[in-house]
Parts: sequence; C-alpha cells; structure tokens
Amino acid sequence: MGMMNFAHGEFIMLAAYALYVFAGLPFPAAVASALLTGIAIALFAERVAFRPVRSADLSTQLVTSLAVAAILQNVVTVAVDARAQSVATPASLSESTSIGGISVPNLEFVTLGLTAIVLAGLGWLLYRTRTGLAMRAAAENFDMARLLGVRADRVIAISFAISGALAAAVGVLIVMQTGQVTPTMGLTPVLIGFVAVVIGGFGRMFGAVIGGLLLGVLSSLLGAYLPDGLVPFRDAIVFTFPVLILIFRPHGLLGGEIGKARV
Amino acid sequence: MNGARFRPRSSVAISLLVPLVLIAIVTLVGASGTPSFQGTVTLILCNLIVVLGLQVFVGNSGVYSFGQLGFATAGAYIAALLTLPPAFALLQTPGLPHFIADAQLGPLPATLIAAAIAGLLAVVVGLPLMRTSTLAIPISTFAFLVVVYNVAANWDRVTGGSSGLVSIPTTTSVESAGLWAAAAAVLVIAFKWSASGYRLQATREDEVAARSIGIGVMRERLIAFGISGVLCGIGGALAVHQSGVLNPTTFYFGATVTTMTMLVVGGARSVLGAVVGAIAIATVNEMLRGLENGADLFGAISVGAAPGLAAIGLGLILLATMIAMPHGLSGGREAGELPWIRRLGLTATVPPPRTSGVATGRSTADPVGKGTLRAEGISLSFSGLRVLRGVDLELAPGEALGLIGPNGAGKTTLVNVLSGFQAPDSGVVALDGVDVTGRTPTRLARDGLGRTFQASLPFPHLTVLESVAVGAMGIGVGRRRAAAVAADVLSRLNLLEQAALPAGSLTPAGQRLLGVARALATHPRYLLLDEPAAGLNEVECGELVEILRDVIKDFGCGILLIEHEMSIVMELCPRIQVLDDGMTLCEGTPEEVQADSAVVEAYLGSAFLAAADA
Amino acid sequence: MLELREIRVSYGRTEVVHGVDISVGRGEVIGMIGPNGAGKSSILRSICGLVRPSGGEAVFEHHVLTGMAPEQIARLGLAMVPEGRHVFKTLTVAENLRLGARSDSEVATRLEPTLERFPILRERAHQRADRLSGGEQQQLAIARALLGRPKLLILDEPSLGLAPKTIDLIYELLEALRDEGMTMLLVEQNAARTIDFSDRCVVLGAGKVRAQGSREELQRDPGVLRTYLGRQP
Repeated sequence: MGMMNFAHGEFIMLAAYALYVFAGLPFPAAVASALLTGIAIALFAERVAFRPVRSADLSTQLVTSLAVAAILQNVVTVAVDARAQSVATPASLSESTSIGGISVPNLEFVTLGLTAIVLAGLGWLLYRTRTGLAMRAAAENFDMARLLGVRADRVIAISFAISGALAAAVGVLIVMQTGQVTPTMGLTPVLIGFVAVVIGGFGRMFGAVIGGLLLGVLSSLLGAYLPDGLVPFRDAIVFTFPVLILIFRPHGLLGGEIGKARV
Repeated sequence: MNGARFRPRSSVAISLLVPLVLIAIVTLVGASGTPSFQGTVTLILCNLIVVLGLQVFVGNSGVYSFGQLGFATAGAYIAALLTLPPAFALLQTPGLPHFIADAQLGPLPATLIAAAIAGLLAVVVGLPLMRTSTLAIPISTFAFLVVVYNVAANWDRVTGGSSGLVSIPTTTSVESAGLWAAAAAVLVIAFKWSASGYRLQATREDEVAARSIGIGVMRERLIAFGISGVLCGIGGALAVHQSGVLNPTTFYFGATVTTMTMLVVGGARSVLGAVVGAIAIATVNEMLRGLENGADLFGAISVGAAPGLAAIGLGLILLATMIAMPHGLSGGREAGELPWIRRLGLTATVPPPRTSGVATGRSTADPVGKGTLRAEGISLSFSGLRVLRGVDLELAPGEALGLIGPNGAGKTTLVNVLSGFQAPDSGVVALDGVDVTGRTPTRLARDGLGRTFQASLPFPHLTVLESVAVGAMGIGVGRRRAAAVAADVLSRLNLLEQAALPAGSLTPAGQRLLGVARALATHPRYLLLDEPAAGLNEVECGELVEILRDVIKDFGCGILLIEHEMSIVMELCPRIQVLDDGMTLCEGTPEEVQADSAVVEAYLGSAFLAAADA
Repeated sequence: MLELREIRVSYGRTEVVHGVDISVGRGEVIGMIGPNGAGKSSILRSICGLVRPSGGEAVFEHHVLTGMAPEQIARLGLAMVPEGRHVFKTLTVAENLRLGARSDSEVATRLEPTLERFPILRERAHQRADRLSGGEQQQLAIARALLGRPKLLILDEPSLGLAPKTIDLIYELLEALRDEGMTMLLVEQNAARTIDFSDRCVVLGAGKVRAQGSREELQRDPGVLRTYLGRQP
C-alpha cells in the first residue's frame, strides 16, 4: 500500500520457520501450515501494531514496521536458535528432469509454477472479484472508497492477509532453494522488495513485480559476466543500481504517486 | 544594534549543561567500576556518540536514514586497520596496501582520520541520495547499509571478511569516551541552533514553505548528513578500540534497530532526547541482557538463558513508543525548553528587543529601475482542464492589487505560477524586466519574491522569532542579523510579545500573521498573500488591513492579495482584478468592480442581476 | 430526513463552521450557497463522516451520524458525490459503477436502468475512467452514487470546472432526478442555478447561515449580495 514495511521480511522468515517446525508432516501439509502462519502473523501485526499508527505520519509507520521486524526476528531467535537450521525438502526437488536434451532442475519448475500460480491468483482476486475491486479502489483513493461503503478495516486486513500469503510463498521457495532457515533470512528479501518497488515505481503492484524481475535478471547477468575478483561484490553492485535510478527518476522507473489521493 | 536572542542565555546554558552533566555522571559511574563494567559503560558512551550522529540528521531533517551505521562500520574498519600492529595486519588482511599495514597510529590520529574519511564518504554517498525524494531516502540509505555490510563481508583480503578483525588495541578508556561524547553533544547542539541547522529544521517543519523562503533543501540535508557521517565514524572507531574485535555484523541491522530505538524513545527532535534515550535504553538493555543469562524474576519465576530476549524487549519498547508517545520522552524539547524548567522560573521570557529599522542588505528604498512584477499571457492546463487562459497581471512596488473570483477561477494557480511552484504552458513571468518564467521558488525568493500559503502552519516546533528569522536565513543572512530582522518585522506586526512562544501555540489569526511575517523577513519587493484572512473575525480583519497598509508604507513592497473576505480587499486595494474560469473578467477600483454586472453574474448569476436591479 | 443541529466543524484549533442548523425533508431539494471559505464543503464532510464535527449533531432518519465511519453512513443510504468528482481513474467505467452498489446482485438489477439514464456511460463502459472528459466523469460520479439507490443524494459543487453546456446537461439530469422525488442536498458556489433549481436555499457566509428561503425570498434579500461581494458602496 505504498509504504515500506520492514516487517514483511519477517513474515517471510516466520513462514519459512513454520516449514521447519512442521517438517515431519507430508510436504503439502507443511506448505499449507507455512501459508497459514504467514497469513496469521500478518493479520496479527496489522491489528496490534499497524492499526494504531494508521493515521500517523509515514515516518512513524516506518519505524513501527522496524520495531515489529526486530521483535519477530528475535522471538524466533529465542524460541528456536540463532543459528541456521536445515530443513528437509522432498528429494524429488533436488532432482532434474530432462527436456529436449537439457537437464532442468525440478526446483526451477516448482519455483516457476508457484510464482505463476501466485501471480495468477492475485490477478484473479484483484481483477475478478468484488473484494479485489474494492481493494484497488481503496488503494487509489481511500476516502472515496469509504464514501461508497467500502469497509476500511476489512480492506486493509485483507491486504495484509494477502501480503502474508505472498510472504509465505516466498519463504517456502527460499527454503526449497537453500535448504535452511535462519532468523536473519528476511533481510535480503525485504531489501529486494524495497528495491523492486523503487525500480517499478511506488504504489504500482505490477511495477514492483517488474522491478523484482529486473533485479533478478541483473543479478544473474552480473553473476555470469562479472570478473572473478568482483563476484563477491555482486550484491553490493546490484543494490547500488536502484539508488542510481532514484536519482534520475525520483518516482521510480515507471512513475507512480507516493501518498494517495484524498477526497 | 540590539541583541535579539532566540532564547535567553539561561535557557541555552541549561540546554547545554543537562546533557553534559548526564554524560559526566555516566562517565564517573563507569570509571568507578570493575574493568568489565568500565568496558560496558565505554561502549554505552560510544553508542551515544552514534545516536548523536543519528540525531543531527534525522532529528533536524525529519527524514529517517537507516544507513548511518554504515559510516560507523567504515570508521571502525579504518581506525582498526590504522592501529593494528603490522604483524597482525599482515596476518588478517594480506591485501592491505603496505603503507596502511605498516602504520601503527595512536588512537587519536586514527580516530581523526577515520572520522574524516567517514565524513567524506557521507558526502559522496549523500550527494546522490539527498537528491532523491523524501520517501526514497530511507530505502536508499538502507540499501547503503546492506552494501557496506556486503563489502565488509566479502573483501576478505582487506577487511578480514566475515570473521573480521581481532586483536585491535584496546585504547579507549571511559574517560576518553566521555570526552568525545561531550564534544559531540556540544557540536550537535551548536549545529541545531546555527543558521544551517535552522534552515534544515524549516525543511522538516514544512518543506514547501521552506523552499518558498529560499532554502535549498538538498544542500541543508547534505550538510547534516556529512556531520552525521563524521560522528558515526567516531563512535564506530572508539567502540572498536574498546572491544578489540570487529566484524561486519557489529554495526549492522541489530545495532541500527538499537540506536534508532534510543533516538526515538528519547525524542528524535532534541539532543536531550538523544542523550536521555541512549542512556535509558542502554540501561534497560543491560538489565534485559542480565535476564538473558538466566535469572530469577522477582525471586519466583526462573527464566532460562535466552539470547535475543533483550532485543525483543527493546522492540516492544520501540513499538509502544510509536503508538503512545511518538515524540519520545523529551517530546522533542531541549533541556531549557522543558515546561517544568520554565515553571521554575529559571528561564525568563525573552525581553522584547528594542528595534530600529534593519535592512537585510536588500534595500527597498532603491527601486531597481522602475521594475514591476508582470505576467503576460499565462496559460496552464492539467488533466485536460484549462485552468488559466491567457491571463495578464502587473504589480508595482508599493501598490496593493486584489485578486478575487469564484472558486476554481485559477487564483491560487496563478500565484503558484508567479512564485515558481508551477510552470505555465505558455506565457511569461517577468521580475523587474527579467524573464523568470520557470525559476524555482528558492531562486525567486532570493530575487525578491515572497508568498504565503493558504493552509500554512508556520513551523510549529520553532518559536515565533525563529520561524521568522529562518525566512531571512533562507536567503543567506547570518543568524545575528536574521534575529534582528525578525524582531523588527514582528514588532511591526504586533507579534513581538510572543517572540519566544512556539509558533504552533499562536491563535489562528496569529499564525496567519506569522506566515506574512516570515515572507516579509526576506524583505521582498513583491509579496503574494494567499487568503491571509481565512478564519479571522471582523475585528481581526480590520487589524490585518491596518497592518498591511503599514507594511506597504514601511517596506515599499507590492502586495498581491487573494481573498474571499471582500471587506479586506475592498478597503485595502485601490485596484482589483477579477478572475473567472481562468480569464480576467474585469479590472478596476472596488466601486467599479462591485457595480460591474459581469462580476455579479459570475458570482450569483443573471437572475440575481435582474432582481438586484429591480 | 436529515437534520443538522448546531453543527460546528474545526480543523485543529480553527473553527470554520460556527453552529449551523439545516434540515432536509423527504423529497426536498436543498441548495447551499456562499462564497468560498464559508464552510459549505466542511459541513458536507462532517455529514458523511470524513470529518468529525467539533460540536452539534447530524441525524439521518433517527440515526445519529456523528461518530460513525463513512462506510457505515454510506450504507444507511446517504450517497455523496464529492467536490472534484473523484472517479477511480485506474478502474473502468463499469468497475466504478459496480462499486456504487452494495452487492453484485444489486448491480445486476440496477445497472440497466442507470445506463438508460446515462447513455454515454453505456458507450464507454469498458474504458478507463481517466479517459472520460470532465462532464462524463461527473456523470459517472452521479451514476455511481445512484446505483446504490440512495435515500439522500449529496452533491458538492457538481459544476466545478465544467463548461457551461456541460453544466446544462448535468442539471438536466439532476432535474429529472428531482422530478422523480429524489431528496437532494446540493452545494454550489455559483448561486444562479442553485437558487433556481432548489426548493430552498441556505446562504452560508463565514461559517454561519446568513439567509435562507425560496428563490423569491432570496432575490429580495440584500444580505445575499452582501455575503458575496461585501458592503455595497
């Protein structure tokens, strides 16, 4: 909703830890529990931490999200451990399938498939349901939406629930790719998220998606073509790019408004 | 020349003393303890320096930066590398250039060099970052933090990689940390009350208004960012010479959260807040850490060892503060400004300074040629609506021109064009014969154009005197003279008695006048007033008319008055221009305008015209 | 149907509406006019819940509106078309309309009759709302408000920024609504049409009611001209 949220990374982390905790269950059940965790935590954070500061200025909201992030990160550190824990993922994921002579890791399929499902689901929700319509309207002009009877609290709660579900998806994917969880694993996705928003323009959902894709592409390109000595610094270079973009286009590559219309 | 002061000497003294005394107490307590306790207190003081570094930027600019600890990291590594004995340097950081590895400086030179480089880094990084929009700075500074972490963790041959450096000489004593902290506190307060600090505070209070009085937002933020870099670098350098070890995570996310908590809980806007917050949170942190190692809560509950508990506690405190007390313990006030100190009578109110005519260096008595402010053929559309359609306007110094018209006629848009906040699609704005179309508001303020805003709340957290003085500082006038100019302007507007009060505590009428005063502080040749009488009652309106008459007489400026309150316009302005639907409908004396049928029709419609004639 | 008693509105410490009484009966069309800054929009915002009145109360068919959230007030049957229209620019015309109804089934029943009344919207049903002209957007805003079959329709400066011919068109639509018995509260700065159009008009100046009455009564009242243009020379 146009606001930076440090806590989002921690939603990802918590969902991933749910996978770790429920590793004993059959994989689909574990994933479902991760999903529920993500949603539940997001709703809880909205009710307890973000709703009281909803009408405060953006700086206050920003620092609030920082506080929530710090709390969540350390709750996990205390409850589990500060060190990385490995998570067992189904063996089929580490295998590869052969397509037309090229061996593609199964993991890529899953990642691609999951991403596609999520995007499709989100698209369906936003563009084909009444709730999604209300959400898009509220995102553009919150007051006007209320004047038409759209329930503010409900719309915001649903947005948070969705972001929790998305975070859970990301968390699951990360676990499948790296096979482990640590309390600090939420930081990098958060940064990627911010940066994606910067590149794509504030307040535009698909802009953020595009931004994320661009980042991924950039990261891969750099990984392939950077001279050996600089390879460890790939992340640093990748994250400097959005800053450069911001300098020339303070509203992001695709534009977008910071702050929303008010009646 | 009178000595107009922003605050009484006693208030300044108290505001300086209280933080220094607190620092001294902490230092003394620390020095009297066991070596391990001393180490803890030293680190607390180093943290305090970093928090002060945060305060100087975040508190004064109102913009949050999450990257300042990147400068602490930089300062720490540089200082450490400079003081490492060559043998160790060779072992841990084989990639280091020889002249650094062989160098083994004492703590002081190392700290100074580290501070200088950190400051330089801050300027280099700040140049592009401060150009971005206000909301992008938190994101980009956070990216900077991660980049620094990344570099430190991966540049193994120079920084020791993720395992970091060890065996750094432990040279920082409690006393030296205390001294550095005290120096930092003095520096930060001095900056806050310097001209540059005031200008930066103005951008925090109201960025748009600040631009309109000539303040370069990016420049002021960059200055504070640089100072912040220096202080964070010092804090990092000193800390690392206490603990003897350094790795990339020392000043990373956790430390960012901790120092941010300290600043916010104390109250970001004031130095007192930074000091109090740092000490209070550090104390709470130590207590919670004690719990982490396993303790008996109230002798009844046994809590097991739990690293991370302290961080949870701090996080909860930060969250509670944001919800319940966003301005922190100090409420953003310095020691001398606290209400209970005021009540003790220790800080007397500022005696109204004697004033004599004070010039800012721009003499209004010499008309540059016989210039005027002129707009020709101004047209502007947006969103497909033609808001202005070929409007002309001319204003000469010393005259009062009223601009009236129904809602949506384009009056405020015209003023925005004249003052540089919007560029016209076509047409020319000329100031004293020079084409200034499209110049920024900042530049126009320096060229002699001033304006007020419809909904302006003039810099609520500065005092009345400061609010107005910033107007003069915006165009480059020094502190002393700015204060004198401000006092002069305030006395003319009958606001001098409230000089020491916070601007936000004035009545709405007073706040309107304050907006006018602030615009006058730049001694403009042309003053554009946008609905200054909104919300005033009849008596106040009458007073406003008198005041504006005197302003024209004393300052010789030309006034363009947008108003809906007809009584003021009719009384003050010998010439009135009526705008309707983006075009000039008619122009003339008040009587002519009131009788003009087109005007009546624009407001009330033809049926009325007929009835009025009947 | 709607009663405002001693309504006061303040922004921060500034009070802009100093105790206003207005009543709107069922089927009536009430106009509110007055110069800018008189407090008209503030009163409307306080009725529909965007701003909490600092004094007095608003009562709509036995429901006390003061303190209710905007969405609750909307669901009571009070539809507001705010100043500046505020159609959702990133949504299509059809989507904008859909939001006006309270449920999808209501959309199904009400859409056709509404589109009958606003033929241009039928044409543009699947275009994004930001492609519409000002007048078309105004029609969309009104149509959207009507979709929920409101009991009271509130319009804040519907003619703002529109060309005279377009204003004629809008008012034709409003007249049709009036003739069908729709209760309306209309705010305009330009007095002409409003006085003509409404059953009764309230003239607001500097936060207070300065005059009230039918067209004939107001045309004879010198206070009206004075409110707008100051003391006559």
